Amino acid sequence: MLSARDIHRHFEGMHAVDGVSIEVMPGRITGLIGPNGAGKSTFMAVLAGTLPASSGSIVFQGEDITRLPAYQRARRGLVRTFQLPSEFGQLTVLENLLVAAPDNRGESLLGALLGKRYWMPDETRLVAQARGLLKRFGLLPKESDYAGMLSGGQKRLVEIMRALMLRPRLLLLDEPMSGVHPSIVNEIAGYLEQLRDDGLTILMVEHELHIVDRLCDPVIVMAQGKVIGQGSMAALRRQPEVVDAYLVG
Amino acid sequence: MNTYYAANLLIFAGVDIIACLALNLQFGVSGVVNFSFIVFQAAGAYAAAVLSMPPDTAPDYSFQIYVGGYQLPFPLPWIGGAVVGALLALPIGLVVLRRLRADYQAIALLVTSIIANTVINNARPLLNGAAGLALVPQPLDGVVNTSTNSYQYLYIGLTAICVAIVWFIAARIVNSPYGRTLRAMRENEVAASALGKNPTALKMTIFVVGGAIAGLSGAILVGFLQVWAPSTWLYPETIILFAAVIVGGRGNNVGAILGALLVPVGFEEVTRLLGRMNIGPPNLIPALEWVCIGLLILGFLWFRPKGVVPEQRRVFPGAPAVEEETRWVVGKGAR
Repeated sequence: MLSARDIHRHFEGMHAVDGVSIEVMPGRITGLIGPNGAGKSTFMAVLAGTLPASSGSIVFQGEDITRLPAYQRARRGLVRTFQLPSEFGQLTVLENLLVAAPDNRGESLLGALLGKRYWMPDETRLVAQARGLLKRFGLLPKESDYAGMLSGGQKRLVEIMRALMLRPRLLLLDEPMSGVHPSIVNEIAGYLEQLRDDGLTILMVEHELHIVDRLCDPVIVMAQGKVIGQGSMAALRRQPEVVDAYLVG
Repeated sequence: MNTYYAANLLIFAGVDIIACLALNLQFGVSGVVNFSFIVFQAAGAYAAAVLSMPPDTAPDYSFQIYVGGYQLPFPLPWIGGAVVGALLALPIGLVVLRRLRADYQAIALLVTSIIANTVINNARPLLNGAAGLALVPQPLDGVVNTSTNSYQYLYIGLTAICVAIVWFIAARIVNSPYGRTLRAMRENEVAASALGKNPTALKMTIFVVGGAIAGLSGAILVGFLQVWAPSTWLYPETIILFAAVIVGGRGNNVGAILGALLVPVGFEEVTRLLGRMNIGPPNLIPALEWVCIGLLILGFLWFRPKGVVPEQRRVFPGAPAVEEETRWVVGKGAR
C-alpha cells in the first residue's frame, strides 16, 4: 500500500531520518517504535508531507507522492494525526469532524456565496455521518462542546474521527495514546482494533509497548534515524540490537 | 447637529463598518494578520478617483499630475475601486502568503504598507505624490446637485446599500462550510493541511475578497472627501481597524460592526471633541489617542480576548440524525 525508499531528512546537518525504507501492508496495524529522538515523528511527518524529504521516494497506491504537499496526500487517502493535540479548539466537536469531510459544495467561496440552499443537502448528509462516528466513539453527547475544552483522551478520539471523515486508505497515527489517561488507553485501542477489522490500514508510532503488543504486526524499530529491526514483537525481543536500543527494561 | 456633520459621521461609520467586516474576514475568521489592510483601501480610493476624474490636462485639474482620468460615470468608479483592491491582493498575497510562516506574513504585510506609502509619496507622476489628489468628483456629479442636503442623504443611502451588500457577503462566508474551514485554518494551519485543505488557496481567496471590500470602502470614502493623499493612509490606520475588530469580537460580524462604531467612529469622535477644548499642549490629545488605542488593544487581549461580542458557537439543531453504518470511513480516499 505504501512504500518508502531510502528516506533522508536532514536539519542543518543533523540526520533525523537517515535512509529509512519501509513497506506498509494493507489491512494491518504496523507499529513504529523506538527511543526518543529516533526520528519516528519526523519520518511520519515526511510520509504525510508535513515535512519534505531531503531525498528518497514515497509511493502510495502505486503513485509517487514524494513531491506532493500534505493536503494533496490527504486527498488521496493518506491521513495523519499529530503527536501533540491538534484539535481546532474554537470549533465544536461536530465542526471538527465536518471540517475534514470532503465533497461539501459549500466549501468553496462560490458555494458559500450561493447560500444554504446550495450546500445544505451536503451538510445534512455529512452531519449524519459525523454523528454516526461520534456515536460509535461514544462522544455524541459532546458534539456541541468546544474541542479545546475536552480531555486529552477525548481530543485524541476527535482527531481520529476527524481523520476518518476523509475516508482514509492509510491512517498515520503519531502516538495516539500520548497524554491519555490509562483508563482511556484500552478504550482507544479497542476502537483501533475495530477499524483494523473493518479493513483500515494503520501505521502507528507508539511508546506504550503493551498496546503495540496487542495491536501491531509487524513492528518496525527505529533508532538514531535508521531502521534497526522489523517483525513481530516476539521476534524483535530476540534481536539483541533492538533490545539494547529500546526494549531494555 | 447640522446635516453635514451627521452625514460625515454616518458615512465614516459606514466606511469603517465595511472595512472592519473585511478585516474580520481576513484576521478574525481566517487568522491572516493583514497589517497592510489600509493599502487596499487606499488603492480603491485612488482607483475610484482616477476613474472619475478628468485627465490631468483638463483646465481645473492641471495643478496636479496623475495617471488615468477617465471620467467614468457612477457606479463604475466604485466598482473599479473594489476590482483594483482585489487585483492588488493577488501579487501581494502570492508573495507573502505562500511560503512565510504566519508571524512573518504579518511583518511582511506591515513592511508592504510602509513601502507602498513611501512609493506613492515620492513617485509624483503616478498619483501626485505627497500632495495627493484633489477635486475628486462626487458620485452622480453633473446628474444631481451635489451641494444640497438631499445629496448628503443620498450619499448616506448609497453607503448603507454598500454596507448591506458587504454584510450579506460576510454573513454568507462566515456561516458556510467555507467559513468553517477558514476558522479551522486559523486554529491550526498544519492540521487543516493534513486534512486535505490547501491553506494557500484558502488564504488567497479571503485575501482577495477582503482586498475587494477594502477597495470599495476606499472608493466610498474618496467620493465623499473628494481628496486623497498618502497622509490619510499611513500604516497606523490599520492598527485602529485591528483595535476595532479585537474590541468588537474576532470572527463575529456583529462584533466587527460594534468595534467599528466603538473605536474608529466613537473613539476618534470623542478625541476630536476633546481636542476642541484646548486641554494641554496642542498635540496632547491626538498623542493620547494613540496611547489609549494601544492600551485598549492590550486590555482586551489580556482581559477579554474574545471581544465584546465573542464568536458564536455553532450548534446544529434538531434531534441527532445518526447514520449508524460507519464502515464508509475505510478506504475510498477523498479524491
